[in-house]
Amino acid sequence: MSSFYSESTFLALIILSVVLLAIAALLFGIKRHLSELNREKFAEEAEPSFYEAKIKPVIDTWNPTIATLVIAGVLIVILGGFGYKFGMDEVGVQQGYAPSQPINFSHKIHAGQYEIDCKYCHSTVEKSKSASIPSLNTCMNCHKYVKASEKYNGKTSPEIQKIYNAIGYDGENMEYIEGYEQKPIEWIRIHNLPDLAYFNHSQHVVVGKLDCQTCHGPIQEMDKVYQYSTLQMGWCIDCHRERGIDSENNDYYEEAHKNMLAEGKDYITVAENGGLECSKCHY
Amino acid sequence: MSSNKYWKGVEELDQTQEFVSSNANEFSEGLPLEQVFSNDDSTRANRRDFLKYFGFGLGAVTLAACNKAPIKKAIPYVEKPDNVTPGVPLYYASSSVSNTEGFPVLVKVREGRPIKFEPNKEATYFGGGLDGLGHSALLSLYDTNRLKGAMVAGKRKPIAWKDFDKEIVTALNKVKAAGKSIAIVTDGSTSLLSQQAIADFSATYNNTDVVSYEPISYSGITRANNASFGKAIIPAYNFQNADVIVSFGADFLGTWISPIKFHSDYSKNRVPKNGKMSKHYQFESIMSLTGSNADVRVPMKMSNVGQHLVALYRELGGATPHKGMEVAGNNIKNAAEELRAAGNKGLVVCGSNNEADQLLVNAINMMLGGYGTTIDTTNYYMGQNADEAAFTSFLSKAKSGAYGAVITLGSNPVYSYSGAEDILAKIPLRISTSITMDETSSNATHVATDLHPLESWDIKQPYKGRFILAQPTISPVFEGRQASSSLAAWAGADVSEKNELSHAYKYAKKVFSSAVGGDFNKALELGVVENTSSPSVPSFNITGGEAADALATKKGSATELVLYQKVGVRDGAYGNTPWAHEMPDPVSKVTWDNYLTMSMPDAKANDISTGDVVKVTVPTGSIQIPVLIQPGQTKSTYGIALGYGRVLPDDVKNDLKDLGQNAYPLVDMKGGFADYTIGDVKIERVTGASTYEFGITQTHYSIEGRDIIREATLDEYNIDPLAGSHVHKPKMISLWDDYDYSKGHHWAMAIDLNSCTGCSACIVSCSIENNVPIVGRDEVRRRREMHWLRIDRYYSFEAPTKKDLELSIVHGGDQTVEAGEQMTKEKVMEAYSEASEDKSTAYNYYENVKVAHQPMMCQHCDNAPCETVCPVLATTHSSEGLNQMTYNRCIGTKYCGNNCPYKVRRFNWFRYNENEKFDYHFSNDLGKMVINPDVTVRSRGVMEKCSFCVQRIQSTKLTAKRENRKMNTDEFTTACAQTCPSNAIVFGDLNDKSSEIAQLYANDRSYHVLEELGVKPSVQYMTKIRNTKATSTKKAH
Repeated sequence: MSSFYSESTFLALIILSVVLLAIAALLFGIKRHLSELNREKFAEEAEPSFYEAKIKPVIDTWNPTIATLVIAGVLIVILGGFGYKFGMDEVGVQQGYAPSQPINFSHKIHAGQYEIDCKYCHSTVEKSKSASIPSLNTCMNCHKYVKASEKYNGKTSPEIQKIYNAIGYDGENMEYIEGYEQKPIEWIRIHNLPDLAYFNHSQHVVVGKLDCQTCHGPIQEMDKVYQYSTLQMGWCIDCHRERGIDSENNDYYEEAHKNMLAEGKDYITVAENGGLECSKCHY
Repeated sequence: MSSNKYWKGVEELDQTQEFVSSNANEFSEGLPLEQVFSNDDSTRANRRDFLKYFGFGLGAVTLAACNKAPIKKAIPYVEKPDNVTPGVPLYYASSSVSNTEGFPVLVKVREGRPIKFEPNKEATYFGGGLDGLGHSALLSLYDTNRLKGAMVAGKRKPIAWKDFDKEIVTALNKVKAAGKSIAIVTDGSTSLLSQQAIADFSATYNNTDVVSYEPISYSGITRANNASFGKAIIPAYNFQNADVIVSFGADFLGTWISPIKFHSDYSKNRVPKNGKMSKHYQFESIMSLTGSNADVRVPMKMSNVGQHLVALYRELGGATPHKGMEVAGNNIKNAAEELRAAGNKGLVVCGSNNEADQLLVNAINMMLGGYGTTIDTTNYYMGQNADEAAFTSFLSKAKSGAYGAVITLGSNPVYSYSGAEDILAKIPLRISTSITMDETSSNATHVATDLHPLESWDIKQPYKGRFILAQPTISPVFEGRQASSSLAAWAGADVSEKNELSHAYKYAKKVFSSAVGGDFNKALELGVVENTSSPSVPSFNITGGEAADALATKKGSATELVLYQKVGVRDGAYGNTPWAHEMPDPVSKVTWDNYLTMSMPDAKANDISTGDVVKVTVPTGSIQIPVLIQPGQTKSTYGIALGYGRVLPDDVKNDLKDLGQNAYPLVDMKGGFADYTIGDVKIERVTGASTYEFGITQTHYSIEGRDIIREATLDEYNIDPLAGSHVHKPKMISLWDDYDYSKGHHWAMAIDLNSCTGCSACIVSCSIENNVPIVGRDEVRRRREMHWLRIDRYYSFEAPTKKDLELSIVHGGDQTVEAGEQMTKEKVMEAYSEASEDKSTAYNYYENVKVAHQPMMCQHCDNAPCETVCPVLATTHSSEGLNQMTYNRCIGTKYCGNNCPYKVRRFNWFRYNENEKFDYHFSNDLGKMVINPDVTVRSRGVMEKCSFCVQRIQSTKLTAKRENRKMNTDEFTTACAQTCPSNAIVFGDLNDKSSEIAQLYANDRSYHVLEELGVKPSVQYMTKIRNTKATSTKKAH
């Protein structure tokens, strides 16, 4: 079998089929030519073909300009649709992107079923621009003991075993292996904001008091994480236009809050606070 | 308004044809499309070609697009270190890399990678600034040419340290058994760790000689001090206590001893307060950075410095004035008068390395009573005190075969000491501790590769009683080992890491408790420990009279060559750091090269112009080098910068490989000391050599003679605080609606032209903070330097004195020039009478130029001309007064650059970080580690410019918001303002009325550049005040 699919055979097959197709076309052409000659010679009233009898009269009633435009329009819509999808993928708009991860980690179990606080693992979300994927020692805080072995006939869950393999932990004897060459887990990054946009988690979580779910969706129900939002600039801007800032409870906004009250407003949107200016995110 | 005509370069002054034509366009070259499209048979692109390329391009793009977006990985730590928060920088107090004597800095570290030096404000004594080289030296950490471990000659790959040590110990014992000596050649660093390690090593190998070697010698000072008061030291100079400073060829703001500290001290007295500021006289032959800042700059021959000193000494009353001692016109007399009035607040410094000169300087300072106020010999300077006599005697001993082994501890004598290579080669075992393959290590038999200073522990003592702690800020990138540990290992100690604590750490702790004392961890946190004593006045053994008599008969030579250091490169030790080379020299504005500086009269007399290659011959040797005509250079003197012509490994392929000429072999050692002034110079034009084109930025972005610089004298200023700023202000009608900044923040910057010395530290600091690419010499030639911040250096002519006029006007025409009048070139020419046939005196006026430095960056105009012309709204205005640049929206029309009156927008021509042609460390993985992750790395085809460090603004605001408090403007500042050693740049929020910036904006001296355009810039400059009388006098020799 393998030889059949070798490159040279494949090439030969292609050439062969091309030649056959050419011969077929040639034969078909000769046949048409002969029948035409035949028709001329006997000058009989030939029976009109299906095309001439049924389709041509319909087409003849069409306005040629409109018909061309319609057909072109349909084509453009279909191709454009494909192109748009392709382009969105290309510039990194990956809403719904849900790649398989090296460990089948389930947020549904951890965040949903066991209600572990997001910040327990994503511990830098209140301090840094990045929420950060937990390092393996964070996993080990629980998984030193939790092996889900009840589901695997008393053996460690193969997914949890992956953690042990990475950090060098002997699940049987419950101890770290000395001198083990540790290897980090290479997660596939789902939310890929381009480098040209600066985003800071702590800004949104601490100052903006947003829930994780606002942007990341019902993460506690996801077995496999997918990108919930578009992460496009329009999506950022929409939110910045609508949402108010908590000016009352933050001393930083003391002056802004006073001004707001003086103007008789209820709240200041992020946009009114300058949240739409280019250099707030792009530098 | 000053009627001075300012000019940036000789070609601008003369309006040469090339200058005019290259300045006519915003971009000096058109797009090289024709070259790209041209075939052999046609030089122009035709329609077919266009279709061909267009078709190919379309196809290629389609094919390239048939690719899913790449999968990106996110790799967390396996075990996260406790103190690391991804995305949040950490700051460690440590010591600067390029200042081997030690200089306090903070190292900004992101995720374990040092990405920037910031000043350590705790170390107030050192002034809280940093210089350009100090910043640039960071790149030496990410140099791909670093050695990867212990190297043995003949083997390409490093060997295990254990085997290496065994080999060394066997060899050293053999040396001992053969009755030969071991020499350790140190770099004169003040490292207590090295000193202790050497002591430990010498205890095991009692046949060890220790020699310290430094490329630049200050032995003139140490020897003179030894003779004067029995201490072979360089004292600490306190420029902040000096009301009158007289410097004879000492470039103390640029390169002399400890310029960063001197900068901050000097600048404390340079802003007029209560009608007073310090007065600075500079007598010098080359135009130095210090000279360019002097109130009175007098051209002098360095070989004649003795005569000047004697004249000053006698003028001050040290002895009866002799006849025939009339040097430097009235200037010595004036200086003496002011020094006498200042008393112990007067300071005389001298850049000569001749003991006799320095003896007289000591005598003068003693006479003034400066010891104890301006000069501190108690808490003296500990760095750079190597005496070349020790090294010469080491070499002669080595020549005789007395040494069996030599360990060069961080020093690189083969590069900077002519003849050292051959003599060192006679020693069979040569161990170097260099971190790269430099001139000395490539001639060594073994290289015990040191760790980079940023990977090492150290305790330095730059001043007696002032300690600086250095700590590792990155785990070792390669398999090096700290030199002190290597020495300890060879002395038999076990230096392996135990309990994750390195030998160097334990060693540093031990040395700290014995030599410094106190809480080690506290000291590490602060970075500095001060155990100083109050200064006392030394008692003198020698009077000035003897010294003066010895000098009085010494005549200067007819022609002289001065070997000097450039501010960016200094002694050349960190010659592999491209940032330092890309930084234009503060005076000449040349990047990437050294050259022969020549005065205009000499150039005219020999019919030489800038770029001509000449052969310079002095008794010590000869060198072929291109010429740069330097206004201000004393006639019959020439200058060449040291620190160039490094020999780098073969695999270095960028401009670093081919950097100027090594002038160290020209240093004159005849007198028993390193003399950097060499008499008897012959200049011949090299026949057949083509004109060399410098990468020189001085006339890029010409401002067409508009009123950019404002200056006044102190007297004028004291009478009228608005002196220099009386411009006709037209009534402004704005076509734009004004912005309302009354709410929130209003960012602004103030730059004091009085404090700014032009040192260019801000340029490098800005480049590192903002990921500004390094473009290399060739692109600078095309005027494509990317610096967001430049420093414009303007020359203007001094007014001639009445006497000058009498002497100079030969043809007796109408005297159109008043003495002391502000000068245009035409007036000066007329006064000095260029019509004179005598070529030897014509053009002498080029010696007397005044210099002004002006930092120029995006002015963040309220009515920004760039914003109105951008077709895609890529540059817009923020409610906080910032002119925002959004790279991703920019389509590169360059209209904004064209429309910018300040010429501060830069077009990004290449993808520098992914282009092998720009191999300045950013195009490889190691070098990319230095990139600031908070700032976009721009791609080609976009405009970029100063952002007022918006990333810092945003992050400080966010911290305040997170901490639920108001923001203080003094919490942060821009990268340029932060590093400025003379505090010339102040940044802040104008709406914070208590802030420094708000007060500076109300200052009398404030003005906006090109105010008359009505663009309302957010950067305010402050008139330069020179402490000269309205009619300053001068004429020298």
